[in-house]
Amino acid sequence: MTEYKSYIEVVNLDFEYPDGTQALKEINLEIKKGEFIALIGQNGSGKTTLSKCLNGLYKPTAGDIVVDGLNSKDSSIVQMVKRVGYVFQNPDHQLFNNNCWDEIAYGPRNIQLSAEEVEERVNEAIQVVGLPKFYHSEHPFFLSKGLRQRVAIASILALRPHVIIVDEPTTGQDTKQSLEIMDFLKDLNEKHGHTIIIITHDMPIVGRYARRVIAMAQARIMADGPTREVFTQSEVLEKTFLAPPQITQLAQADPSLGFDPRTLTVEEMVEQFLEIKGE
Amino acid sequence: MSNVIEINDYSWKYINTKIPAIENINLSIKEGSFVGIIGPNGAGKTTLAYSMDGLIPGQYNGVKKGTVEVFGTEVENFAKGELQQLVGVVFSDPEAQFTAMTVEDELVFGMENIGLSVPEIKERLDWAIELTDLSHLLMKPPYEISGGQKQRVALAAVLAMRPKILILDEPTSMLDPVSRGRIFEVLAKLKAEENNTIIVIEHSLENLVPLADEMMLMVDGALLLQDKTQSFFQQSKMLLEKGVYPPGAMHFFHELQMKNYYQGKLPLTVTEGIDLLREITGS
Amino acid sequence: MNKTLLGYVPNESPIYAVHPFVKLFFLLVVSLFPMFVSAPDWNIGLVLVIIIFMWISRVNMKTLKIYVPVAISMGTIIFLSYTVLGGTHPEFELLARVWGVNFYWERVRDALVVYFRVLPMIFTMVFFLSTSRERDIIVAMRSVKIPFVVTYVFAMALRSAGMVLEDFQIVRQAEQARGFDPAGKSLPYKIRQYVMYMVPLFALSLRRSEEFTNALVARGYAFTGKFSKVKRADYILTHYSYKNFDYVFISLISIAFVALLIFRYGFGYFLVEQSWLMRILREALS
Repeated sequence: MTEYKSYIEVVNLDFEYPDGTQALKEINLEIKKGEFIALIGQNGSGKTTLSKCLNGLYKPTAGDIVVDGLNSKDSSIVQMVKRVGYVFQNPDHQLFNNNCWDEIAYGPRNIQLSAEEVEERVNEAIQVVGLPKFYHSEHPFFLSKGLRQRVAIASILALRPHVIIVDEPTTGQDTKQSLEIMDFLKDLNEKHGHTIIIITHDMPIVGRYARRVIAMAQARIMADGPTREVFTQSEVLEKTFLAPPQITQLAQADPSLGFDPRTLTVEEMVEQFLEIKGE
Repeated sequence: MSNVIEINDYSWKYINTKIPAIENINLSIKEGSFVGIIGPNGAGKTTLAYSMDGLIPGQYNGVKKGTVEVFGTEVENFAKGELQQLVGVVFSDPEAQFTAMTVEDELVFGMENIGLSVPEIKERLDWAIELTDLSHLLMKPPYEISGGQKQRVALAAVLAMRPKILILDEPTSMLDPVSRGRIFEVLAKLKAEENNTIIVIEHSLENLVPLADEMMLMVDGALLLQDKTQSFFQQSKMLLEKGVYPPGAMHFFHELQMKNYYQGKLPLTVTEGIDLLREITGS
Repeated sequence: MNKTLLGYVPNESPIYAVHPFVKLFFLLVVSLFPMFVSAPDWNIGLVLVIIIFMWISRVNMKTLKIYVPVAISMGTIIFLSYTVLGGTHPEFELLARVWGVNFYWERVRDALVVYFRVLPMIFTMVFFLSTSRERDIIVAMRSVKIPFVVTYVFAMALRSAGMVLEDFQIVRQAEQARGFDPAGKSLPYKIRQYVMYMVPLFALSLRRSEEFTNALVARGYAFTGKFSKVKRADYILTHYSYKNFDYVFISLISIAFVALLIFRYGFGYFLVEQSWLMRILREALS
C-alpha cells in the first residue's frame, strides 16, 4: 500500500469573478497523493473554476489552497503549475507551435530549463503518451482530436506536475477512444503515481475509473467520497442534476431483487446475477 | 409510405484524401421514420449526413460516385437554396451555429432567407418557441445563454423552416446531461406531433435508442448494419466488436443472452430493464 | 440592465423608446457639427450637452472616468504635435522658449481648436455606443435600407469579436498553465510570445468558419442564384416603429445642423477669432 499524505488542502475557499458571480462557496477538501478523482456537476457548478484555483490560475477571494506545502496566495503561477497541471477541454486552445515536438517543449522552455533537460523531458513525455515518431514534426492542427489531446497531455506532463487535471477527456470521443484515453490516465495513476482529477459528466466512465467522486452544484460541494458511496446518495445526485450510470440505476431500482446498489459496471451486475441464480 | 431518401451505390472521396470517406452506400429512408446513425469517429457518419443535405458536394470538393436522391430528385439537381427548405441540419457546435445578435433574430434568419412574409414568420416563430421552450430567452444575445440553450435555439431555428427531413449531426456531444435530455425531449415531441423524418447521429445511445425506429451502423466508411432498433441490438456482439457499446441496461441483458440465461427482447430504457429484471429474477 | 456595446444601461432608460435610426442619425449628424465650429467655447458646450444627454439616458457616468486618461494623452499628443513638431510662419507670435523649442501662440491656438473639435466627436461616438445594443445598430442600418449582406457582415464582425475575446482569455490561461510568465522578460521576448496567441486563435476561427458556412447554407442562405434575390421580410423591424417624438428629434437635429451652417457661413459665427475663451487665454499668456 502506498503511503498517502495530503498533497492538496483546500480550506474555506471562496471565489468570486470580477463581475460579481460567486463561483465557489466554502469549499473544503483534501487530496492525497495517488488518488483518482472525478469532479462532476452541471455546467456552471464550479468544477472548472475549482480546478483553475488548484493550479494557481485563479487566486482565492477568501480561504486558502495549499499545494505541496505552498499557499497559492503567496506563490507564483509558475510554482503552482509545476505541481498541478491542467489540460484544457479544447486542445485547440493550447496548441501554439508548428510541430508536436516544439509544442511539448514549450512548457519546459518557459521555465528556463537547459536544452538537454528540455530534450529529456520531451522524450519522456512522448514515451508515456505514446506518440508515434511520425507525428513529431507534424502540425498539431491536422491531427485527430484524440491525438491532439495526447499532445496536450504530453505538453503538461513535460512540466512534471504531480497532479494532472483533465477537463472533459471524453467529450466528443466515441466509446473506444474514450476508453483509450481513460486507460491511459489510469496508467499514469497506477504505474507512474500521478494524482489524476477528471472533470466530466460521463457517468459510466466515472463508475469505471474513478475511485473518488466530488459532486458540485451551485458553487458548493454536494458530495465527496468513494464512487460507490456517492452513487447511492440519490438525493444528493439529484441536486447536481446527474444520474448514476444506467447499470447502477438498474441495480438500485428494486432492493428486493438482491442486487448491490453500489454496482458500477455491467460485469459486476452479471456476476451478481449468476450468484443469485445459484451458479 | 414512400422513400424520402434513396441512396444507391454512393461513394464520396474528399479531394485531399487517398481513400473514399464512404463507399458503396445503399440505403433508403421512409417518410416519417426516426433513424439513428451510430459508429466510431471517422466512420463517415457526418459525410453521409452532409450528402443528404447537399452540403456534399455543394460545399466540398471531391469525387462522387452513385446517386443521392431526396424526394426523388438528385441532390445536385436542386437549385441553390431549394434543397435546404426540405432538409434541415443541426450541427454539433452550438457556438458556430449562432449567427445573429439575439435569439429571436436567429430563429427568424432562416425564414427570411426563404422569403416568408411577416405573418407567416410570426406563426412559425410561435410554434417553434413553444416546442423548444424558448419564450423567456427571445431577446437574449448569444453570449448570455448556455451551450445547451444555444443548441435548442439552433434546433428551433431549423424547425422554423419546417423542413420535411431533419438531420442532427451529434447535436448533444458538447452538452451536459440535462441539456442533452432537453434536446431529446424536443425530438420526442416532434416525433409524436409532427410527421417529419428525423435522422440523428449520436454517441449518446441512452437517449437515442428509445426514440429510434431504425438504426444504422457505420464503420470505416461502410454501412455495416441497418435494421429496426430491436433487431439491430440483438446483434450487439458485432456492435461491441466494432467498438459500439449499447446502453447499460441493454448491455447487461445482452450479456445474459450470450450466456444463455435470457432469450427475448432487449430493454430500450432503464424502466424496461427494471421490469425485465423483476421477471427474470423471478420476483 | 441591458448590455450595450460599452456598458450597461438600466432597463428603464428613456433612450430605449427612441428608434435606433434616430440614435444613428444623431451620431452621424452631430459628429459633423464640430467640423464647422472652430471656437473651442462652442465645442466645449457641445461636449457638455452630450454629457447631459448621457445623464438623461441613465448611462453609468462612472464609465466616463475611463476616458479621462484617453482625453489627457490625446490632448498631450495633439499639443506636442502642433507646438513642438509644428512648423513656423514669420508672422507667428512667440510666446515662450522652453529647452530650445519655440512656442508660438498660433500653434497653441490651433492645437486647442483641433482638440476641442475631436472631443465632441469622440463623446458623440461614446454616447451612441453606450446607449445602443448590437441589435440597435443592425436595426438602424436596415431601416435605411443598407443591403442585408453589409449589415449581416457587420453583425458577424461584432459576434466574432466577442468570440475571439473569449478565446483570447482561455488561450492566455492556457499559456500560463504551461509556465508562461512574462514578468521580468525582455520586450522582444514578450512580443514574440504574444504573437503566439495568434496561432490557436486562428486554428479556432478556421475550425469554426467551416461549420459556420455550413450552418449558413443549411439555413437556406443562398450566396448566389435565384434564392439569393429573395425579398427579406425584415422581421426585426416589426418591433420598432417611428413615434411622433422620433420625427421631432430627427427634425430638431436637422434644423440645428442647418441653423449651424447658416450662422457659420451666413453670419460668421463660431469662429475662433470671436472666441472669448481664446481672448482670455491670449491675454493670460502674453
